[in-house]
Amino acid sequence: MKTSGLLVGSHNITQSKHCEQSLVSQSHSVIMYNNVCFLKVSRMLPGGMSVIGVFLVTPPELSKEAQNTLRRLIFAVDKHISKGRLWSLTEEDVTEKVTLHICSKTRKVVCRTYDVRDPKSSAKPADWKYQSGVCTSWPLLTCSVGLNLVFPVLEMHVLPQDMEKCMKEGLQTWAKQIEDGLCLINGDAMPGEVELLGGQKKNAKAVQQTFRAQILIPMAEPQSERRLTASVKVCSGSLTLKGMVQCRAYLHSNKPRAKHATEVIKRDVINTVSSRVEMFLEDLLMEGEDKGSVGVQQVLPRRVFAPVPGMSLCVCDYMFPDECVSDVSDRLKEMLDWETPEDSIDTSQEAVPEAPTIDLKNTVVQKNLKAKSTLDARPKTPSEDPTEAHKSHKTYYAGVAMAAAIALLATGTSLIYLSD
Amino acid sequence: MVVGNIILRLRGSLEFKCQLDSTDVPHVQKVISRTFEALGSQVKAESLVLSLSSSPVFLWPNKGGHATAGEISPNRPCKDLQQLIQTDDQESSRKKSAKKDKNNPTAGIINLTLMTEVTEPGVLSAPTLLRGSKKHHLLQTTLPMDCVVSVLSSESISVVCGTLVGALCSQLGDMEKVALRHMKGTALLIPQPFHFLLPAPVGLVTVVYPAGVPDSQLETQRKELHSLFELPDDRPYLRRANALHFPDEPYKDGYLRNPHVHLNHPALENGKPYLVQGVYSYHHYMQDRVDDNGWGCAYRSLQTICSWFQQQGYVERAVPSHKEIQQALVEVGDKQGSFLGSRQWIGSIEVAAVLDQLLGVTSKIMFVSQGNAECFRELANHFLSEGTPIMIGGGVLAHTILGVAWSETTGQIRYLILDPHYTGAEDLQVITDKGWCGWKGPEFWDQNAYYNLCLPQRPKTI
Repeated sequence: MKTSGLLVGSHNITQSKHCEQSLVSQSHSVIMYNNVCFLKVSRMLPGGMSVIGVFLVTPPELSKEAQNTLRRLIFAVDKHISKGRLWSLTEEDVTEKVTLHICSKTRKVVCRTYDVRDPKSSAKPADWKYQSGVCTSWPLLTCSVGLNLVFPVLEMHVLPQDMEKCMKEGLQTWAKQIEDGLCLINGDAMPGEVELLGGQKKNAKAVQQTFRAQILIPMAEPQSERRLTASVKVCSGSLTLKGMVQCRAYLHSNKPRAKHATEVIKRDVINTVSSRVEMFLEDLLMEGEDKGSVGVQQVLPRRVFAPVPGMSLCVCDYMFPDECVSDVSDRLKEMLDWETPEDSIDTSQEAVPEAPTIDLKNTVVQKNLKAKSTLDARPKTPSEDPTEAHKSHKTYYAGVAMAAAIALLATGTSLIYLSD
Repeated sequence: MVVGNIILRLRGSLEFKCQLDSTDVPHVQKVISRTFEALGSQVKAESLVLSLSSSPVFLWPNKGGHATAGEISPNRPCKDLQQLIQTDDQESSRKKSAKKDKNNPTAGIINLTLMTEVTEPGVLSAPTLLRGSKKHHLLQTTLPMDCVVSVLSSESISVVCGTLVGALCSQLGDMEKVALRHMKGTALLIPQPFHFLLPAPVGLVTVVYPAGVPDSQLETQRKELHSLFELPDDRPYLRRANALHFPDEPYKDGYLRNPHVHLNHPALENGKPYLVQGVYSYHHYMQDRVDDNGWGCAYRSLQTICSWFQQQGYVERAVPSHKEIQQALVEVGDKQGSFLGSRQWIGSIEVAAVLDQLLGVTSKIMFVSQGNAECFRELANHFLSEGTPIMIGGGVLAHTILGVAWSETTGQIRYLILDPHYTGAEDLQVITDKGWCGWKGPEFWDQNAYYNLCLPQRPKTI
């Protein structure tokens, strides 16, 4: 029986040693690998946390084959997770990912790392060590970002086929603004090298610190070419993205610096917007285009947070308007394999939008009205008249074979690289 | 300029974006006005942030002037902001410009940039996507906001913030007027602000002009403004070239401007100086990779004069090269074709001819023999009424006269000379110390020589 999973955590570089803190635990039966799940899991991670590796548990006779599988897997995982990414890696980003092989008989752990930037990279040996209590005090950064973006749909584009293209282009520009923006932490513009937890005694009782982030960007980018007139584009439509997203990022507790903080929170801002847009478009693609949705404000999936059992961390999920908390709970069980009581899921961070404005000219609206009938705070049971849209989500998630699941350990672990 | 005042300059870009469902004029105008109105609300929003240049300080002007840095609170005087600005080492230039600072009213300017806080909490809910399907023209550009306010240095930060936001709003209003006035179909000319330092009591003024429309076509606007500000109607004050040059923005062309202002006054008892007005550039031997050492002095003096007419807004053409000067003389028939590419000297007559041909400027020619002191009165009057640099040719040399001074008590006369024979780099220290720009006594004149002076006249235009 094979067991496999993804390793999730955050990277922390201290001088010349890479020191990682990750969360790993045992998971259930896993049969095959499905690329989609890597992405889904990645979307559940707030800023500062990412998929840092994969693990595989096999009987001893499959150990050799396991190494090859792990290698292929780690590159595939990285490829799929970074596909829709709107921000760019910097030189300081760690691109070493971890593969862990555990022999089911001897419980021996073989740990290797690969540099996923280099397709030809070879395995580097690494040490896998267990530590306790390191994850309880990861500092937290929060902010909420307002969006009011209007993307033109140029004449040559046709909706809905080109919607993804138009949105991606527009979001790319916006993401660059956020990436280049200034980040204040607790109201201060500090130089990047400043340590955020300065002044704390080393072995003091670890209490989670929360920092408030503020992001400032120029109101507009000055024009690069010397234009004399405003540019004129003929458009066949427009896409307006409006609302507020709630963002969260965690920092490792080993001397986090201001520049790491600004980086992780900005990336979470960008990821949360691009994730939900992607999910919305995927859903649209699956459902098939309904003509009635033009002129109607469609609600994008909103972010909810769920605590990681035994730790002061949260993961997140996205709830479509016709879903309810039990759907989130089910998904968490599927993906991350832990039980989340429904009342511990925080759905209050992002407010439910008001009833969408309806374009009376379009009569093919009934279908949408039904879909939005469950648009209120926290229905305990799914709507009595499950609409097609509601059904499709359920089948979508259930239909996927349980591929890779997140594994979580009750205690924290640390990984020390032997290489330079 | 008012003593005890501080100047704050706020710059940034605002995104102008609007959808035109049709191209008929009333609709277009309505949409443009609405877009400017929306920008006005944006500027008054709590998410507006002003970044104090070269400092870690940010201000929220629509939240009462709340700032990031702990030491600054909204009721502190705005001059406290200056202390937070991190300047690079300016010790050496401080000494030189100490004298200049008294004359330069815009020294010590506080620069701010427009920003917005995307994390400003609002009452928005989770994101929604709206698909619009109406065909339209999308008009898009960025507006180059540039506001300057002059406030008492003791004025509180919160009040100053309010003044700045007010300046932004009124500039948006000016931009809207200019945009609508010059709009043709869907072509929206970008409104650009220019700052002018007008004579007292008017002071600092900002005017918005449409990009791409040359000064020659904006005479009506200038006439309106001249009468509004009660400016004389025979000389330009509001052409783009007259725009105020801020001290923290170095000239990009590399030429020195007005080196004479760094000189001490001539050592004369009761000496009254009559000086060139406005701004000129110092042109001399070996510049622009042209080796005219030994023959080009009059050409350089002519270039200095052309630079004056360009910077006072009379002409838009660039300072002519030696080639262009020679070409002009051939065109007017003053010289034969063989003159082109030669190293022949020119005199004040030729200078006057070129000024007329290339710039449309007429000149008075004055003939002086034996360093006649009588010419002093003419020169003084010239600087009072025209204020243009004078080219003087005689003997084997050509120079530029930038001013004269006379002592009532001793009767001594001094001449402010700009020497085009300098072959070195644009080093202000060397040029002033070694007298390449300096006050000279009567020994400057060769008693046995005859001199011709070219006195360029200001065209009567705005």
